[in-house]
Amino acid sequence: MSELFLLIQIAIRNLFASFLNFVIGGIILMGTLLFVVGGSLLSSVDSAMSKSITGSIAGHVQVYSDKSKEELSLFSNWTMPDIAAVPDFSKIKPALLSVDNVKTVVPMGVEGANMTYGNTLDQTLDKLRKAVNARLAGDRSPALNERIVSLKDHVRRIVTVIQEDYKKLTVMASTQSIDPQELRAIEKAASAEFWNSFDADALAHLEFMENKIAPLLPDADLIFFSYVGTDLDSFRGSFDRMEIVDGQMVPPGGRGLLLSKYVYENQFKLKTAHRLDKIYEALHDEGKTIASDPDLQLMVKQNRSQTREILLQLDPLSSQRTTKTLQGFLKSSENDLATLLTTFFDTNDANFIERHGFFYKEIAPLIELYRIRPGDTMPINAFTKSGYIQSVNVKVYGTFQFKGLEKSGLAGGMSLMDLMTFRDLYGYVTPERMAESNQLKKNTGVKFVERDRAEAELFGGSSVVGTGGEKKIDDQAEMGGVKYSATARALMNRPYSRDEIDQGVVLSAAVILKDPSKMEQTMREIEAVSKKNGLGLRVVSWQKAAGQLGQFVFIAKAVLYFAVFIIFVVALVIINNAVMMATLQRVREIGTMRALGAQKRFVLKLVLIETLLLGLSFGAVGTLLGSILVKWMGHNGIPAGSEFLYFFFSGPRLYVDLGIGSLIGAFISICLVTSISALYPAIIATRVSPVQAMHAED
Amino acid sequence: MPNADTSASPIVSIVNVSKEYTLGETVVPALRDINLSVAPSEFISIAGPSGSGKTTLLNLIGCVDTATTGQVIIAGQDTRNLSERQLTELRLHTIGFIFQSFNLVPVLSVFENVEFPLLLQRKLGSAERKQRVMDLLTKVGLADRAKHRPSELSGGQRQRVAIARALVTRPKIVLADEPTANLDSKTGENIIDLMKEMNQIEKTTFIFSTHDAKVMAHANSIIRMADGKIVEDAKRSTKSRDQEIRA
Repeated sequence: MSELFLLIQIAIRNLFASFLNFVIGGIILMGTLLFVVGGSLLSSVDSAMSKSITGSIAGHVQVYSDKSKEELSLFSNWTMPDIAAVPDFSKIKPALLSVDNVKTVVPMGVEGANMTYGNTLDQTLDKLRKAVNARLAGDRSPALNERIVSLKDHVRRIVTVIQEDYKKLTVMASTQSIDPQELRAIEKAASAEFWNSFDADALAHLEFMENKIAPLLPDADLIFFSYVGTDLDSFRGSFDRMEIVDGQMVPPGGRGLLLSKYVYENQFKLKTAHRLDKIYEALHDEGKTIASDPDLQLMVKQNRSQTREILLQLDPLSSQRTTKTLQGFLKSSENDLATLLTTFFDTNDANFIERHGFFYKEIAPLIELYRIRPGDTMPINAFTKSGYIQSVNVKVYGTFQFKGLEKSGLAGGMSLMDLMTFRDLYGYVTPERMAESNQLKKNTGVKFVERDRAEAELFGGSSVVGTGGEKKIDDQAEMGGVKYSATARALMNRPYSRDEIDQGVVLSAAVILKDPSKMEQTMREIEAVSKKNGLGLRVVSWQKAAGQLGQFVFIAKAVLYFAVFIIFVVALVIINNAVMMATLQRVREIGTMRALGAQKRFVLKLVLIETLLLGLSFGAVGTLLGSILVKWMGHNGIPAGSEFLYFFFSGPRLYVDLGIGSLIGAFISICLVTSISALYPAIIATRVSPVQAMHAED
Repeated sequence: MPNADTSASPIVSIVNVSKEYTLGETVVPALRDINLSVAPSEFISIAGPSGSGKTTLLNLIGCVDTATTGQVIIAGQDTRNLSERQLTELRLHTIGFIFQSFNLVPVLSVFENVEFPLLLQRKLGSAERKQRVMDLLTKVGLADRAKHRPSELSGGQRQRVAIARALVTRPKIVLADEPTANLDSKTGENIIDLMKEMNQIEKTTFIFSTHDAKVMAHANSIIRMADGKIVEDAKRSTKSRDQEIRA
């Protein structure tokens, strides 16, 4: 005991005795600092990302059919993996809920679809048609007349823009490449006679415009989007980070689409306005400057050149107003609105904030900022399982976001759809609906419908879904007669019961746990339940379900640990050398001890304890500094510099937590590294002969 | 008055010992067929020019080195038959060392340096250790320096600490290789006087090497060496006896 005490005493007193010890200590200090900070950072990213994934779509555990050819990957936005369907969710739900740690189970189907919306001319013509219909229905109010005149002027303006485009085109391209029919149609639409005769047969004129002119305007858009078809009520209850931003929640049991706010802003907002938002954010929140950031410069350039969408949207009255306000604002005598807009959007760091404000105050109220407004009903197209293109009209109820992940394109890439519409788009029909549709077919005289083709038979054309039923789709009448159509519509407009929602196809189910820390164990229990009941389920953790994204943290961890390993190996070599040198400097001292009667074991312990103590004391300082740094980062947070990082930080800032794991890890690593690196020098020290004590050197 | 080397069995007995060192491919003989017998409580000086084999002989007696041929018997134990471990034990309990450059542990205090061998022995409790160390420090005149570090002491003081350390385990033999070489002659003489005093009080055998004639004069027998051989084994018992009478 007294010997150990002596050794520790010698070790403590030798701590600062040699310059070499500072070298060794410095390496250990930096190593532990890195370990504590890196480890804490990584475990914080890990837990933040787990919050991002578990809190947005994945839940803690995902289950899906064992027959799937590919692995479930919820965040692969472009290619959907080949997942076999689970035919009846109501069969697996009670089994999953029977597992102790399972809080809720949310049915899901992650799929892709596309949405088309008409171009500016389509939209303006649509408004004009409504106004004309109102007049035909007997409305003679002066307000309506004024509106019709204004809309007509707007359409004429758009035609003028198209005409200008074609003139440019004929200059640039060879004349053969332009269909002469198109040119004749534009000429007709731009002519005074056409507009003079408009009121005489408004509907025929409208039809001409819709069929011949509107397709010539190339600003119609096809937007691909990923969505989660789910039991929306259950989803909202289980993923409490979800919040409605615009519009409202889909009513309970109803059909409808909730667009992700992120997608809404990025895809549906007027590009110019969206770019202004992004520049504003970069300048205001991130402290960037247009002068120094090429991305921002590109956005300014795009805004300058892409004023057409605004020009098209402004009706003549608004155009005049905008021209005037812009002339005043820019102190310019220019009369061409396009030139004025280009000048206006030529923003720099000095004038941006002012112009951004002016845009939203003066221009934005005159135009449609978004292609779709909450309440609109949109046709959604998707390829069904059986290869048909299925089209369903769905009402967009609003937009939503996940709290703290507003800026994340990864978490925000998914929109939400009701499960019934998902099943239609995906191409599955529940047995009940199958029976119902068979009944309908009987009533309408159709004898036999194959199950595979049922959805094509039922919904092969466009059908109206949701409450936005004012759109008229004529081929519905041709499909099955008035009786069929009315029944089908009634079938789809009513709210669905929980049983109906549950009894049907899903692709996967998110399982939310009561205690996420017991995930592994719960997964095994779920597997056992699946096996027992023959459910044929594959059970995966959120990391796995998130696909490549989930593996990112794993890879990042592997990279960090590899870096730490390399640092340790380097430290090991350096420390080994340093301890070796320090030992050689003490040959006489060690020899003396041996001569006085110290056994080899004593010398071995002497070197080991000294190095270990050196490691522990400098390691403690490193850990302390690291902890302070982590605490500081935990207090101030690390800003997520890019939208990509938002997802990994689960919000705008990462608040780093000091992981007990990294402290313990640092402690173990120090002990390991110092003992290993001191072992060889210690063994060498035991070979010091007591004879070496006799050599006089000074 | 019985002679020291005949009255009891010798504490050191060296029989036909040779020692060779291998330097590269040449074999350098350090000791050639030496015979020596030292009786307990002798105070012997080994003299000779450097390279004569003094240090080698001391190393063999001190069990820090082994003979190439011949027999080295220390305190009745033939060192040929002992393991490295047993040799270390023998050094710890039977032999005390005093080095030319003092060789104190720099981070330990005077007290701790003297206590060091006792801690290795693990025989005495803390109180006994303290008493023994302080007794010896008092005898060498450094009791008031117990808490000092070696670096705070003069050369002579350090060597006195080393003497105390060599004696603290009450060894049968104390070996000193040129104990005065790093000291001025006055201090060196004082050190030898102190060693002699200890020799008389503790009855410990002292064997020291030196090439300083003044220091040699204090010994009661001188062994002269040259070329690895003992050339003279002069017993100076008369002087030794005179000193005993005076003391």
